[in-house]
Amino acid sequence: MIAITTAAHDAATHQLTGPPIDWSSLSPLVALAAGGMVLLLVGLLRSELVRERIVPALAIATFGVTIGLCIWRFDHPASIISGALRIDDLALILDMIFSVAGIATVLLSWRVAAPAESGQGEYFGLLIFSVLGMAVFVSAQNLVTLFLGIELLSVPLYILCASETRREGSLESGLKYLVIGSVGSATLAYGLALIYGATGATDFSAIASALSAGKLLGGVLGDPLLLTGLGLVIVGFAFKASVAPFHQWTPDVYEGAPTPITAFMATATKAAALGVFLRFFDVAAIGAQDKWAPMLAAIATITIIVGNVGALGQSSLKRMLGYSGVAQAGYMLGGVVVGTQLGIQATVLYLVAYLFMNIAGFAVIVAQQQVRPDGDDVAALAGLGARNPWLAWTMTISMLSLAGIPGTVGFIGKFQLIHALVDGNYTWLAIVLVVGSMISLGYYLRVIAAMWMRAAVPAPVPAAAAGGGGGEPAFPPISGGAPEGDPESSFGNGAPGSGPGSAPATPSPIATLRFAHPGVVLVSLVFAGATVFFGIFPSPLFDLASHAGHAISGIF
Amino acid sequence: MAPTTFGWLIILCPAVGTMLIALSFKRLPARSAGWIGTAAIAASFGLSIAALLALLGHTPDHREFTSTIWSYDSSVGVDAKLSILVDPLSVYMALVVSGVSMLIHLYSVTYMTLDRGFNRYFSFLNYFVFSMLLLVLAGNFVLLIVGWAFVGAASYLLISFWYRRTTATGAGIKAFVINVVGDAGLVLGTFFIFKHTHTVDFVKTFGAVDHVFAHNSPDLVAGCLLLLVGAFAKSAQVPLHTWLPDAMEGPTPVSALIHAATMVTAGVYLIARMHPLFEQATTAADVGAIGGCLTLLIAATVGLVMVDIKRVIAYSTMSQIGYMIMAVSVGAYSAGLFHLMTHAFFKALLFMAAGSVIGAMAGAQSLDRMGGFRRALPFTFGCFVIGGLALSGLPPFSGWLSKDDILAFLDHRGGGFIILGIAGYVGALLTGIYTFRMIFRAFLGEPVEEARELEHGHLHHADVPRNPMTGEEEDTDVGFPGPGHFIAERELPMKVAMSVLAVLAIVGGVLQIPGVDAGIERFLSPTFADSHLAKELPSTRADWIGLAIGALIAIGGIAVAYRVWVAAPGTATRLRERLAPVYTLLINKWYFDELIDLVVVRPSLWVGRFAQSVLERVVIGDVVTGGTTGIVRAGSAAVRRAQTGFLRYYAALMIVCLTGVALYFLISSS
Repeated sequence: MIAITTAAHDAATHQLTGPPIDWSSLSPLVALAAGGMVLLLVGLLRSELVRERIVPALAIATFGVTIGLCIWRFDHPASIISGALRIDDLALILDMIFSVAGIATVLLSWRVAAPAESGQGEYFGLLIFSVLGMAVFVSAQNLVTLFLGIELLSVPLYILCASETRREGSLESGLKYLVIGSVGSATLAYGLALIYGATGATDFSAIASALSAGKLLGGVLGDPLLLTGLGLVIVGFAFKASVAPFHQWTPDVYEGAPTPITAFMATATKAAALGVFLRFFDVAAIGAQDKWAPMLAAIATITIIVGNVGALGQSSLKRMLGYSGVAQAGYMLGGVVVGTQLGIQATVLYLVAYLFMNIAGFAVIVAQQQVRPDGDDVAALAGLGARNPWLAWTMTISMLSLAGIPGTVGFIGKFQLIHALVDGNYTWLAIVLVVGSMISLGYYLRVIAAMWMRAAVPAPVPAAAAGGGGGEPAFPPISGGAPEGDPESSFGNGAPGSGPGSAPATPSPIATLRFAHPGVVLVSLVFAGATVFFGIFPSPLFDLASHAGHAISGIF
Repeated sequence: MAPTTFGWLIILCPAVGTMLIALSFKRLPARSAGWIGTAAIAASFGLSIAALLALLGHTPDHREFTSTIWSYDSSVGVDAKLSILVDPLSVYMALVVSGVSMLIHLYSVTYMTLDRGFNRYFSFLNYFVFSMLLLVLAGNFVLLIVGWAFVGAASYLLISFWYRRTTATGAGIKAFVINVVGDAGLVLGTFFIFKHTHTVDFVKTFGAVDHVFAHNSPDLVAGCLLLLVGAFAKSAQVPLHTWLPDAMEGPTPVSALIHAATMVTAGVYLIARMHPLFEQATTAADVGAIGGCLTLLIAATVGLVMVDIKRVIAYSTMSQIGYMIMAVSVGAYSAGLFHLMTHAFFKALLFMAAGSVIGAMAGAQSLDRMGGFRRALPFTFGCFVIGGLALSGLPPFSGWLSKDDILAFLDHRGGGFIILGIAGYVGALLTGIYTFRMIFRAFLGEPVEEARELEHGHLHHADVPRNPMTGEEEDTDVGFPGPGHFIAERELPMKVAMSVLAVLAIVGGVLQIPGVDAGIERFLSPTFADSHLAKELPSTRADWIGLAIGALIAIGGIAVAYRVWVAAPGTATRLRERLAPVYTLLINKWYFDELIDLVVVRPSLWVGRFAQSVLERVVIGDVVTGGTTGIVRAGSAAVRRAQTGFLRYYAALMIVCLTGVALYFLISSS
């Protein structure tokens, strides 16, 4: 309360002067914002060369510069813009995760329908703005910046999901995400308002001190206003991190969205949401840990079970990875629940691991979709081991790592999470995690078995796919276009030649290629290589994670 | 070169041989696998001689060498290393093993020529020799256990060599199971000793025994008894002996090599190697001596009534190993090991000669069908008689000097050991009887059809190959015995191998003649320098008295056999009728198979069936596995049912869950 009033007082009495800005610390964000705007402008040029080559190159360059600036600012923690943002190692590591995911997304978007249909400049520009939103989100040090961040990251994503404008599934996905996302944002906003009402502060540090003061007097902590606010904030974050039971949009949106965007959402958005969980609950609300930790632990349990159980029996790879992502969010939530150094480090470590193994898997799906119309189907993977051993190996590595098999980075991550949970007296949650991993083998190994042990099945002709796979009637959008277990029935609608004459000048890139694009194969190989490399030499990741952990301990 | 260098090379040669044959078996021309195998073992033998010379180059007090090339694990008190111990005992064993193996490989090159599994046979055989050499050269318990288990595996592979014969596979399984019981005993015994000495190294263990264990301390006795379980299983001593007669299902050279000359003597080697332990645990040593004594009597009596020629020799083997076990258990180390060597010579010779007879019979092994081969198989007959005389212990054959060396030692120790000695003389009498029963029935008397044909130069060939045990018709394809039969008279390699062994069976005894020379005793004395029993040798006079008694008993045994089977044919039938209960007991091999079946096999089967039908199927299969998958499947269905695809349901569920979360916090606030 006091901080706010003095700030308002300052603004009123003095001339209108902005707060002092530490431009060097802000530089990663500046680079993203500038890059995004330049891209939008460059994308207006009509030259095919510019749109097809320069724009993606610029996007990669933007992310590259951001990563460079993050490395430059590493180990220089600073609170900037009157304490609205904190650029510390945790934020910088997360920014790097977002940027790497961004680069991968740009590479995966090569020859995909979405950028061509929605405009290269818009597509890549929105991608960069979304990353900017994430960067703000995880650096936020007060409630207002937090909300600004979540909106800035969400709105571009709604559009990106619908960027394949001539495919029903994509549009449906974007609309679903928008509507449900609005509910989530509203919940979060309401929760933030209640917390402000209870503590009288928007700054995280002020909230934290109000809570610790409340602990002594027994005042604020028992306040229903604060507790309801905390509950609503949990729901808002849980929605973004696709944590059960607020996950239901995830499989539908993941399946409908263009695959590169799905990969981006699965990795970057999840990292952002988990990063904010760490920031908000382990910094601002740490004083109320005994209130929210049991709730969060219960939610984590539900998430692990629902995610793993739901992924069994999915025939769409993207849906399966969607559910798998739900389960993985549950694992990482465990690191938040314990509220210790070890928990923070384990969560950050797992986020990095998750980036590597998930992008590797999604890259294979993109490659599969480039060569056959039913590339998203698990059955379509049959015989991949014989057809394309490189892709089959990366997919195998990705699946094994997601399941947590030793020798992969997924094992290191899971091991650290279990360590943190046992250390933080949440052994039962560690057991739930292990049981969840056991169930998860049921669907991860199915993919591996399909690739190596089954003979290839011929790709169906697009016309047959358009008729609705498996005899299911094509659902109209909004009212349930993606029933469970149904192969992507609307895929054929986006097939070449079905669009009206106003199609872009380029031939629709969704036309199946003979071979997957080398860039996509490269992405899958690089990320699978990283998965194995860091699974065997994890010490660089441990260093990173400990930096992130110390960033937060500095505030305590 | 250092003796240990030779030691490593001795082990390496057969290992290379087996790999070479196994990896290139498809491309090897004709008999080359046999020659590769023989050459590998010959190299080992040559290196063993080199090791012997290298040892003799050092003074007797400095003939113990260890060498380690790799440490598996030297943490938390375990010092498991890849190390060998080269001392007089291990070199002695390596010489016997590689020497006899070399001759049997040579014999096999001919004997197995037409078998479809020729290359497989030699790779197995080389693998066996590798394992056996590893066993005798091992420098610590861990490597000993490895070699011990390897020879068991090799034995299994070679007993079941004709893997499409059900009797052979059954015998292989029986041998393997009983040998694994022995392996378990060896491992547990090692643990009991390791628990106190904190080392698995032989030299360190033996050095520590006297400080660590009190005389007959319970743990040491338990450990030594468990070691005895290992030794008894491997050396086919009562009651773990039932696998050895069945092991005769393997090819005859295998019986000669593994189930007579080398592997089955591993138990003798083990007790001799562990003598510092057994001398401190005299109770266990006594158990070993009594076990050996029982075996020598029981096996000799069963040998009297068996009709399968290979099984008679098998029971004879058990009986002779009984002597050796008894010897090394009471401290007659050099005598026991001396008998081990001479036995290897004459028993391998007997098996080879039996193989030749079986060849002449086109695969039949029953003594009932044999007779009068004396003129048809003169060379084989000669070898068989030499082997038989050596086995019976007639002067001046090698068996006479070695066996009676053991018995003289027993008499010398006095007390209860005299009883063991007398039992040994009874066994010697029985040995003479069953050995010459076999010779008289196979070679003397009216020539059978096969013998008459052979006298005219025709080697009999069965129209239909039959399993000698069951009489079932068989194929000659891979997995069955090959179509060809061979007799020593016509095959040079067989002849050479048998001649060498025959000479050794005659003159092998000269290495140790009381009052003249004590070569074995002198050579082995550095190994047994720490033993007080090994120094208590009987006087030369006592030795010679023993030898004289032994010679008389052997002559008596042979005379009885002559009276019963040659001078007055029909006596055997009359005896069988008059002593019907005894005969029934013996022909059923003292009912040991039935006893083990009742005590071990049936309860195990019952437990196994219970585990399968109740534990496995109901508890694990239905309740645990079925229940878990059922729950997961139901959960999966529920989650997917909730995933309708309708936006309104999603939003509604979100609100419901949100309310739940908010309610929780509200309730927790009050």
